[in-house]
Amino acid sequence: MRIVVLCSSVYSETACAMAVQMAKLGHIPVGALTLPTLDRGTLLRKLGQWGARDVVHYARTKLIPQSGDGRAHANNLHLQPLLNREEGMFRSLREVASFYGFPVAVCNDQNAPGSIAQLREWSPDLIIFTGGNILRKQLLEVPRLGVLNAHLGLLPEVRGMSSPEWSLLKHIPVGVTIHYVDAGIDTGPVLRRSEFTDAARCESLSDLRNRLIAFGIEKVAEVVDGLNRGTISATPQSALDEDRQCFVMHEWLQARAAERLTTRRPAVVAETANG
Amino acid sequence: MKSSKDNVIGGEIAKALTEATGLLRRPQRVFPLVQKLVSDKVRVTFEQRHLYSYSTTKRPSGDVLNSLLRWILDAQRPNGGIPAYYSLLTGYSESYPEVTGYIVPTLYDFARAAGDDGAVVAAERATRWLLSLQMSTGAFPAGLRGESTGDEAVPSVFNTGQILQGLVRAHTETNRPEILQAAIAAGNWLIEMQQANGSWSGPAAYQNAPHTYYSMVGWALAELSERAADCHHEYSQNYGLAAEKNLDWVLAHFQPGGWVDGINLRGHPNYLHFIAYVLQGVLECGILRRRSDAIDAVAKSSWVLLRKFEAIKFLPGAFDTDFKNGERFTCLTGNAQMSCVWLRLYEVTDDLRYLNAALKMNEMLKQLIPQRARRGIVGGVSGSSPIWGRYQPLRYISWGCKFFADALLLEQRLTRSFEASVFEALPCAS
Repeated sequence: MRIVVLCSSVYSETACAMAVQMAKLGHIPVGALTLPTLDRGTLLRKLGQWGARDVVHYARTKLIPQSGDGRAHANNLHLQPLLNREEGMFRSLREVASFYGFPVAVCNDQNAPGSIAQLREWSPDLIIFTGGNILRKQLLEVPRLGVLNAHLGLLPEVRGMSSPEWSLLKHIPVGVTIHYVDAGIDTGPVLRRSEFTDAARCESLSDLRNRLIAFGIEKVAEVVDGLNRGTISATPQSALDEDRQCFVMHEWLQARAAERLTTRRPAVVAETANG
Repeated sequence: MKSSKDNVIGGEIAKALTEATGLLRRPQRVFPLVQKLVSDKVRVTFEQRHLYSYSTTKRPSGDVLNSLLRWILDAQRPNGGIPAYYSLLTGYSESYPEVTGYIVPTLYDFARAAGDDGAVVAAERATRWLLSLQMSTGAFPAGLRGESTGDEAVPSVFNTGQILQGLVRAHTETNRPEILQAAIAAGNWLIEMQQANGSWSGPAAYQNAPHTYYSMVGWALAELSERAADCHHEYSQNYGLAAEKNLDWVLAHFQPGGWVDGINLRGHPNYLHFIAYVLQGVLECGILRRRSDAIDAVAKSSWVLLRKFEAIKFLPGAFDTDFKNGERFTCLTGNAQMSCVWLRLYEVTDDLRYLNAALKMNEMLKQLIPQRARRGIVGGVSGSSPIWGRYQPLRYISWGCKFFADALLLEQRLTRSFEASVFEALPCAS
């Protein structure tokens, strides 16, 4: 299976872990297409999303070698097993690419003609999207099978942004959906919907999100394996009579979602113990 | 003979000249004017809106609510009237009966939420002034009232409807019979002026034409119907029927894509303020009259605007038909009104995405309220952002303060009740 990974930065841990996972499955990517790390738009988005302190912390962990035990640590500890290697840890997609031997191309826009030409040259069966631009039709038509996305919510119930938080607030099970990307926002045919049953163990929303990312990579691997064997097929999403798209959640509602995460914890632990 | 378009343009030029000469009379206003123009230019040049622009709280809502109400209370004249605006060129305008009327419910809501007796006193003074303006027909006059406006009063349907909202609330709070009598006289006059199709047109309507944003008048009649139900049952039914007749007329103007026709203001674009008026009036009337078709129609239009807000992080100040060609400036009042509409839709439908959008909208608006400035500016809501935008340029407008205060009061009430409902839903520890 010829696989290309799309990502928003060479320092994306999700992209690194995804590429490693594919390589371990025997599908070493034929290429990776990434947006520039110091892109102004990305930087501003991250500043808005994380705040200045976390952005500085993130940059420091990526750019300055770790002290202490001498080993680097992933920001998302649940990806650590995939990112570990004998000499430390994969810190960027370039390191993964040089280890497994595949090219990394940098572009300012994944939909730009130059990017499309690069993708066509790699002639992928499958593109795995881990971050970047909203993908346009021209790009979506490049891979033979389609573009895969691991959405951090169960489709079609929760589309769009802040999906784990919306799932908690709307009392919808937390989970991951692996689907093909189409012209809409998370509206493409579904390959696998997997409920995440460990949500009650999460200490915070960011912990939940990190665990879901790792869970999603695991599920993408299963789907790629299924597609390779021809044992899995996509199902169009059910037509719903209302628009289920969600948007970036305000921090007040995020705090309420976090409360739901913590208040459900004792009940689930008790259930496990009784079971 | 001059066409109506010529009259509109002539009126606009005269208004602009009067405004411009204001600086000559009070040159000390030059500094705040230049300061605001420069700060807005800098903001427009460097501001970056992105997905997470307004997802965090930078100013507490309570502080901003207090400053909005301080703006209103500072502006109120000794006779109880509230000016329409503070202009960076000419200072405070004369009192505006329409706005004074529908600020009354906001004053009472704030007094209740903040325990501020000063707001109650202000509401009572405003009501007394309004009662002194009522015409023998029951109507209230159009335009501003003050020393320079003379005694001539032209009855206005829209202003009467907006003032009626204030009277109904004032009676609810005080139970004074003369207020209910005034409200009933106003309501009867509105019914008399209503056309057979449910609209209002003719000399007492703005530009003699029917407008869908007169749904606000329908809302006021629906409120009066509820208020009069106990003591004036025969009238109450009539007000309810008139409100629904207008509701049906307005609903016929809703298009399948959510757009609402019939705003119908010659010489003006479709400002968000008027679009939001249509939606607020229909929604509130629909809620009071238990009309799910009205609530559904508003939800559809509001969802179109919600998606636009989530995509571009503000709502354009004016639109062409079908919400196309949104203009680049923001009408802050319209944004605040949409926040109110979304909050009420959340309350009615339980769809948290409306609450989420309103919280973010309020964050955006809070960032645009001046914190340190002179009287008339501090705590005020400008007509447009940037200040030179087409809607009420270079002015801080009292109805902007009113609608944003309403949005923040609703936000406080609904977030508290959300927290209370979560608390109630938790299993009992014992």
